[in-house]
Amino acid sequence: MSEIGISMPNVTVRGPEAPRNLESLDPVFQVEDLSVFYGDYEAVRNVDMTIGNREITAMIGPSGCGKSTVLRCFNRMNDLIPGARAAGKITYHGEDLYGDHVDPIEVRRRIGMVFQKPNPFPKSIYDNIAYGPRVNGMKGKMDDLVEQALTQAALWDEVKDKLKQNALSLSGGQQQRLCIARAIAVKPEVILMDEPCSALDPIATTKIEDLMQELSRDYTIVIVTHNMQQAARVSDRTAFFTAEVDEAGVRHGRLVEFDETSRIFTNPADKRTEDYITGRFG
Amino acid sequence: MSAQHRATATGTGRSLARSRPRYGEQAIKVVLMLAALVSVATTVGIVFALAEPTIEFFSEVSLAQFFGSTEWGPLFKPAHFGVWPIIVATLEITLIAIIVAVPLGLAAAIYLSEYASRRVRKIFKPVLEVLAGVPTVVFGFFALTLVTPLLQDVFPWLGLEPKNALSAGLLVGVMIIPIIASMSEDAMAAVPNGLREGSFALGASKMLTSVRVVVPAAFSGIVAAIILAISRAAGETMIVAIAAGFKSVFTLDPTQEMSTMAAFIAQAGSGDASTGSIAYKTIFAVGSLLFLMTFAMNWFSARMVQKYREVYD
Ligand SMILES: Nc1ncnc2c1ncn2[C@@H]1O[C@H](COP(=O)(O)OP(=O)(O)OP(=O)(O)O)[C@@H](O)[C@H]1O
Ligand SMILES: [Mg+2]
Repeated sequence: MSEIGISMPNVTVRGPEAPRNLESLDPVFQVEDLSVFYGDYEAVRNVDMTIGNREITAMIGPSGCGKSTVLRCFNRMNDLIPGARAAGKITYHGEDLYGDHVDPIEVRRRIGMVFQKPNPFPKSIYDNIAYGPRVNGMKGKMDDLVEQALTQAALWDEVKDKLKQNALSLSGGQQQRLCIARAIAVKPEVILMDEPCSALDPIATTKIEDLMQELSRDYTIVIVTHNMQQAARVSDRTAFFTAEVDEAGVRHGRLVEFDETSRIFTNPADKRTEDYITGRFG
Repeated sequence: MSAQHRATATGTGRSLARSRPRYGEQAIKVVLMLAALVSVATTVGIVFALAEPTIEFFSEVSLAQFFGSTEWGPLFKPAHFGVWPIIVATLEITLIAIIVAVPLGLAAAIYLSEYASRRVRKIFKPVLEVLAGVPTVVFGFFALTLVTPLLQDVFPWLGLEPKNALSAGLLVGVMIIPIIASMSEDAMAAVPNGLREGSFALGASKMLTSVRVVVPAAFSGIVAAIILAISRAAGETMIVAIAAGFKSVFTLDPTQEMSTMAAFIAQAGSGDASTGSIAYKTIFAVGSLLFLMTFAMNWFSARMVQKYREVYD
């Protein structure tokens, strides 16, 4: 399974394996002063960050600090929640993601998402992969595409003999890789992952981390994770969020620090980041 | 094991044994079981009540006569027992009703479950349930006094008879829309939201998500709704008695007056067929047949659902 392997022991920062000049960041998303509301509740306040092209950006922080909320702004998934609203600005390759002319369906086609809980459709493995291309207008057989997506997601060998079987017969880890394959099958430009490994055992987690490394050659990846080692292992940049209580006593998610992963984990600028990473917080 | 032994096992000095008998629990269990038995007993009772006169009927009228002829008139002299005209009429009116109700009911369910805001849904669902509670005699008169004349005006070339299968079928369809809509909506609402999100995240529109993910995932519930609706349509009596009439003609032409199985039962049952007469036994034979047809359909569709449903959990 591992052409790319897990050459790195334990908590190695990704840097050495994938030497990049991170300073010269080629921005895919630029987030400026983003605040997100659920009804009247301001869940996240004043976030500024930049997501670099073909980089893996990790978002970490305690539960409820708004990581998922921010992530779901990148593909306008929050549009589907009644009362949810984003203020501020997000650009995607310079284009206002929330502009009037923007079609959220096109956005989601180009910016794929993998969810925390594996959510394969109750269809065959084959149909799960073919679903995305089909709803995007592709017709006929797509055996090659299915094989390609499953191979990329390191699942092909395990399922190639049972493509007609219901996807729900797969194990949790296999289901999650299927969901990744499903996301890849529409050939997105960005893949957003919300705690993709939280329900998985260490082996499945390793497979998915390998996969992310592999995918980051072609794709821009943003991942939310509670696993600090994972953030350190796979990401180029890390955003640390936390929840702050304002003057009125209301909790808001805030971005505390955003920097190259190596710096966040070795020499964080903010005390709160350091506390969190060393386990003195949340 | 001694009491002391048990006590130390729990560590707190208190035994894990039940401290006082729970008579309430027992009583409730018995009451619930009796309640369940009532419906089972009723069904069994119906089968037996139907069986005896039906068997007597077939000792007088042969199966060949019953199923081998297309002339129906058990209440006339001479009597005819070819059952096909009322079977065909029943199926035809049921088919018209289903053609009306399935698309409208499903569309309403999709709208309510996938498109409507919570506020709209809160208003619509009760309205739908009120529609389900309208006495069918009202639909019957509606068909007879409004729909038939309207159709006669708008499509004079149809040559609609004052009583006809078409209007009756349409209104039976309206009658079963709430069943399909409401039960299907429940089934769709039970589909986990994660599936919808998964679909949207791949760039599917709301419509595609509804049709290709939500409806298939709710398939068994939707089929159950349609089956129940078909059973209700096939057994519907008041609407067809009023709007389709009692004439037994062997035809597929929905513009004509025709008697369904249920209408025949109502007609014969409310007439002066004396107990033990052949007319009386015919009621039970037709009743048994209707029962069997509904039962067969239920069984068949249950198997179909088993085979094709998409299980999501
Ligand atoms: N659909 C929603 N409606 C209302 N409030 C919401 C909704 N989703 C999230 N919130 C609120 O927004 C805040 C941020 O939630 P979010 O899910 O983004 O946190 P998170 O950082 O992803 O947490 P976790 O690590 O537990 O997943 C929380 O206070 C949460 O209660
Ligand atoms: Mg989250």
